Amino acid sequence: MKKMMGLALALGLSATGTARAADTIKIGLMAPMTGSWASEGQEMKKNVELLAQEQNAKGGVNGKKIEVIVEDDGGDPRTASLAAQRLSTKGIAAVIGTYGSAVTEATQNIYNENEIVQVANGSTAVRLTEKGLKYFFRTCPRDDEQGKVGANTVAKIGAKRIALLHDSSAYSKGLADEINGILKAKHANVVFFDALTPKEQDYSAILTKLKAASPDVVFFTGYYPEAGLLLKQKKQMGWNVPFIGGDAINNPDLVKIAGKEAAAGFEFLSPPVPADLDTPEAKAYLAAYKKAYGGAPASIYGVLAGDGFRVVVKAIQETKSTKAADIRNYLVNNLKDFPGYTGKISFNQKGDRVGELYRVYKVDKAGNFVMQK
Amino acid sequence: MEQFFQQLTNGLAVGGIYALIALGYTMVYGVLKLINFAHGDLFTYGGYLGLTLLTSFLLQDRMGVMAGIGILTVMVMGLVGVMGVVLERAAYRPLREAPRLSAVVSALGASIFLQNALMLIYGAQFQTYPEGLLPQTAVSLGGIQIPLIRILVVLASIVMMAALYLFVQKTKIGTAVRAAAIDQGAARLMGIDVNKVVSLVFLIGPALGGSAGLLVGLYYGRVDFTMGWVYGMKAFTAAILGGIGNIPGAMVGGLLLGVIEALGAAYLSIAWKDAFAFCVLILILIVRPTGLLGERVAEKV
Repeated sequence: MKKMMGLALALGLSATGTARAADTIKIGLMAPMTGSWASEGQEMKKNVELLAQEQNAKGGVNGKKIEVIVEDDGGDPRTASLAAQRLSTKGIAAVIGTYGSAVTEATQNIYNENEIVQVANGSTAVRLTEKGLKYFFRTCPRDDEQGKVGANTVAKIGAKRIALLHDSSAYSKGLADEINGILKAKHANVVFFDALTPKEQDYSAILTKLKAASPDVVFFTGYYPEAGLLLKQKKQMGWNVPFIGGDAINNPDLVKIAGKEAAAGFEFLSPPVPADLDTPEAKAYLAAYKKAYGGAPASIYGVLAGDGFRVVVKAIQETKSTKAADIRNYLVNNLKDFPGYTGKISFNQKGDRVGELYRVYKVDKAGNFVMQK
Repeated sequence: MEQFFQQLTNGLAVGGIYALIALGYTMVYGVLKLINFAHGDLFTYGGYLGLTLLTSFLLQDRMGVMAGIGILTVMVMGLVGVMGVVLERAAYRPLREAPRLSAVVSALGASIFLQNALMLIYGAQFQTYPEGLLPQTAVSLGGIQIPLIRILVVLASIVMMAALYLFVQKTKIGTAVRAAAIDQGAARLMGIDVNKVVSLVFLIGPALGGSAGLLVGLYYGRVDFTMGWVYGMKAFTAAILGGIGNIPGAMVGGLLLGVIEALGAAYLSIAWKDAFAFCVLILILIVRPTGLLGERVAEKV
């Protein structure tokens, strides 16, 4: 008897649960709210929540309000797989995120098996979309594209001896390998190729070894916390060699760590930030963002998360469905040149964003990131 | 050759910090036979408290840089020292008579508590020290570049270690500490207040660890709430390397570990830098379990 009652209770609860779920359309956001990339996660949350509010003010999607459910992935693959499992049980229509490639990789299969569309925003490692997962998309470009731009930038400087430094992460190693491959094919002289350990504070041993290889330029493909320390300690050593970075450098915290003087002149590749885009959509969004948070979006990845959110909402709106198969079908076949805040968005069959996105940025003396023409 | 000497100085600077933290591990172990796993987190508090005091009182603007940093060091050491004493009262003293495992679990719990408290107070993002606090110049010495700050870090750590060594070896209270380390029961019979000695050890060890945290903040400019883990592990390794329970051993172990890491990174592979430290640890445990200088173990019959 007790069992029967329990069963009835469970049935009743699940019935009310689904009834409530039908009132809103839930969209998940998986982001590094803690850990060393916490500032990226906060930005992602700001963008997605602002867009959800705007959409709800316009009456939501198909007559339903949007509810954003945030899960913290801690910038760590293990935490992320737990976050993905939790999100998968919450009846979400799609998930936005996350930032790091290795972190995304830990969650891809979980979402795919649960038939949930995932739109990553900062995960640029090539192999993420080479696996043939049906429901995986990303609004950021891929590292092979970045590799090409990177190799061109190195060639433009006229560097003869090139050093490549990565941090062994899926993204960083992948990008370093891409650049290395392109440079080798051009018979360029790569004099140094090795990895540092992220989250350390003293990189003087590595810088000394780099210096001994006497490169004309050092390309560091890791993230901004380490890049900031490298620049700072390079300056302390009194070593003047140009450093170039990949798109994971694009965060104003870089200047905070390195100091303005040490960061000045540093160049990196990145998709353009909204402030550098002149489309009417981007301008309107900048104004709305400024009104809500009192400043421009600091990081491009938060904006890319916002773009991911917008294409998902668009797909739900157009197909009048929250089924993963319908969303996927729409994104791959029907979405063409969607006016995103980071430029036009279309996806290919693999789920990759189509089109050239990368620009070269330079840190000026005041610590601002200036797009190079 | 030039690279060798440059790496040697790199290693000594990091090693100086390891050594300062290692002293806390080794002193607590010497007296209580307890590994204070929360020590790494007290080190982190040093970095954060330094930043808070520096920015809230604008020390660097009110007085000269050097005087400001001097006062800052004293304040941070005092505060972290008090934290250490409170930690011992709350987490370790009630378990003094309990099996040793209970104290180890309590230490791990304290570590998690301290780390999370820091995250809740300051947020999960790393914090940065104000820019240009110390002069960013480097001294050129026969081809090797030594940043001025690094000389300062090494000097500060050597001065503090020497002061501690003299204190323990030459003063009456130091003798009491050594006596308690050998045999607490006998020390008590000789009229030594063992609880006071333990409190003192928990004042000095964390104070030195806190000063290391402040040095890290001043030197590297970036502190994050999880940094105590890696530094703690390295310092713990350094303490074992030198012989845990042995104060000069902790100094030697710390400096040596820093140098091993730097040279390993230079001549083998930089990606495996951390592995060298722990390979050395394993090697030492196999070949000479008491550490390089050995621990003076009292024979209990």
